[in-house]
Amino acid sequence: MGRQRIVMALAGAGAVVVVGAALLLPGGQGSQAAEAAPREPVPGDPLTGAEIARAGDIASATSRAHMAAGRVNLLYVERDDGKDAEERRRAEAYLYDYATDRLIVRTVDLGRGTVVKESVTRGVQPPPSKAEEVRAAELLLADPQYGTGVREAYTRAGGGQLRSASDLGLRGLIFTPGQENGPRRCATHRCVRLFVRLPGGTWLDTSRIVVDLSAKKIHTLEW
Amino acid sequence: MSLRLILSCAMLAGVLGPAQTASAAQGPLAMPAARIPAVPAQAPQGTAVAPAVRAPAAPCSAPYRIDRTLPNGARWQLCWEMRTIEGLTLNKVVYTPKGNRPVSVLRSTALAQIHVPYDSGTPRYHDIGALGQSAIPLLAADCPGGERREQSVCVTTRPRGHAYLKSGYEEPSTSAQGHDLVVFAAFQVGWYTYLVEWAFSDDGAITPRVGATGSLAGSTTTAGHGWPIGVGSRDFEESHSHNVFWRLDFDIQGKAGDVVEQYDFSGTRTAKRKLKRTTFTKEAKALNRRTRWWRVVDRGVRNADGHPVSWELNNSDSSQYRGPAGEAFTRADVYVTDYRSCERLATVNPAPRCAGSVDRYVNGERLTDPVLWVNVGYHHVPRDEDADPMPTHWQGFRITPRDVTAKNPH
Repeated sequence: MGRQRIVMALAGAGAVVVVGAALLLPGGQGSQAAEAAPREPVPGDPLTGAEIARAGDIASATSRAHMAAGRVNLLYVERDDGKDAEERRRAEAYLYDYATDRLIVRTVDLGRGTVVKESVTRGVQPPPSKAEEVRAAELLLADPQYGTGVREAYTRAGGGQLRSASDLGLRGLIFTPGQENGPRRCATHRCVRLFVRLPGGTWLDTSRIVVDLSAKKIHTLEW
Repeated sequence: MSLRLILSCAMLAGVLGPAQTASAAQGPLAMPAARIPAVPAQAPQGTAVAPAVRAPAAPCSAPYRIDRTLPNGARWQLCWEMRTIEGLTLNKVVYTPKGNRPVSVLRSTALAQIHVPYDSGTPRYHDIGALGQSAIPLLAADCPGGERREQSVCVTTRPRGHAYLKSGYEEPSTSAQGHDLVVFAAFQVGWYTYLVEWAFSDDGAITPRVGATGSLAGSTTTAGHGWPIGVGSRDFEESHSHNVFWRLDFDIQGKAGDVVEQYDFSGTRTAKRKLKRTTFTKEAKALNRRTRWWRVVDRGVRNADGHPVSWELNNSDSSQYRGPAGEAFTRADVYVTDYRSCERLATVNPAPRCAGSVDRYVNGERLTDPVLWVNVGYHHVPRDEDADPMPTHWQGFRITPRDVTAKNPH
């Protein structure tokens, strides 16, 4: 579902995407909880799959239109581990608005079922979500030069013809200009460095490639 | 033969140092008798040895609960959580020495960053992305003798060699083999696999460490920044550092009363060395020195000798990478900060309205609930043996109990 949305956005058609509660569950999250038998969590337990879905749903309520348009993404939901709220079940939902480059963290009190705190900021980048890793790879594949390079390397590694970004092993890290000469706008944009694994366990050298998810552009670092 | 050696050593000590050995010889024997009456039969209230500490409800449910009594009777209890960002996080760590009451040690500990700058100056990675998303499902063989929790966390016990060995004079020697409770997970970050592990020893020590394995990056450089690992001397694999940061929220029997002290031993090229204690009242950055160590002590929690219970931290194995001005977080080995829930990672902190790195968390606040950040560097100069798979190289530090019990309880 997430991939489909990204492909649509890349094709320039990403206006209408069905948004439902299932979509709000960040991809790949909550596996540890999902596999456990249904139970009533105690305060120190990780969030259950149901709690993650519910927190994401509550936290996304005021952003649905932007999420449908692909402008805002729910990255993931973390348990609020704050010492002052130890006895409460609270979750922090990380959302990112790519149009305004704002990180929005909404704290959801699962007992009350409401957002109890919202923090909005620019220039703070939590790690890329799985969906963002795929989106970054899609942008890479859409680049005429790099896309061809990745496809050829994939075929050379014995993978046959690359069908989609999800055929690749992906891991993303946030790139901030800092000590490396990179695009200045990555100080506020959501820029990702990708690691791309090919069949057979070999890795592409992608260390100079930075994918700007806010501008939907690829940068090559020069060093 | 061994008996004769012991005798001659004792005689030698007697000859060489009569004035000192008189008190020293009596010391260990006389001390318990002198000290025991000084300690009330009923220990003061609110201490580790206080009676009737009711066992609280388990802070987490069974799948996340680890409760292991090691062969010598030492018991560790803790909770684990696979957090999306920090990955494996251990909470509510409690140690119970044999025959003693439980002492809570850490409220929480997790990795806080793995900073990987390459020797040519680029690239410079901050390897904590979303670690929880990068956890590798473990095979049974990856968790020898243990149990896998929800595929990616291994809980096991392993031998740690001699706990002690004391010659028995005319009797057989007394010795014991020690064991560790080990909790670990593996994470795939690019070509590297990081093994993130905590060992909880049956003597109360905790050893957090990270092993880097998987594959080398394969990035080549000039001879000055690397090592030739291919045929001949054409391709130089680039050297790099792994600067691993841990966050440790110590709460000795709760958060109240915890204080961080630094210990130094002055005197160089002198016969005498003198203990120097520095108590951190405000947030601080500290550097390693060969004989320097720190401890988190709670003066409200005493052992049966009346000594305050503490955990000592040693960090002397670091390669002590010091980066450029823009990487000020590399310029200390231990940071002590007052607890703030938003201060989670040592760099690239993901929380809004919070400082971005650990060096900025240190901003003069008075310490009421100290959190320790430990930075251990490893400088990896590749070698032929590193290809492929790369043998694991480890880095970590030690946390040892100091005066948690009045004597060796095991």
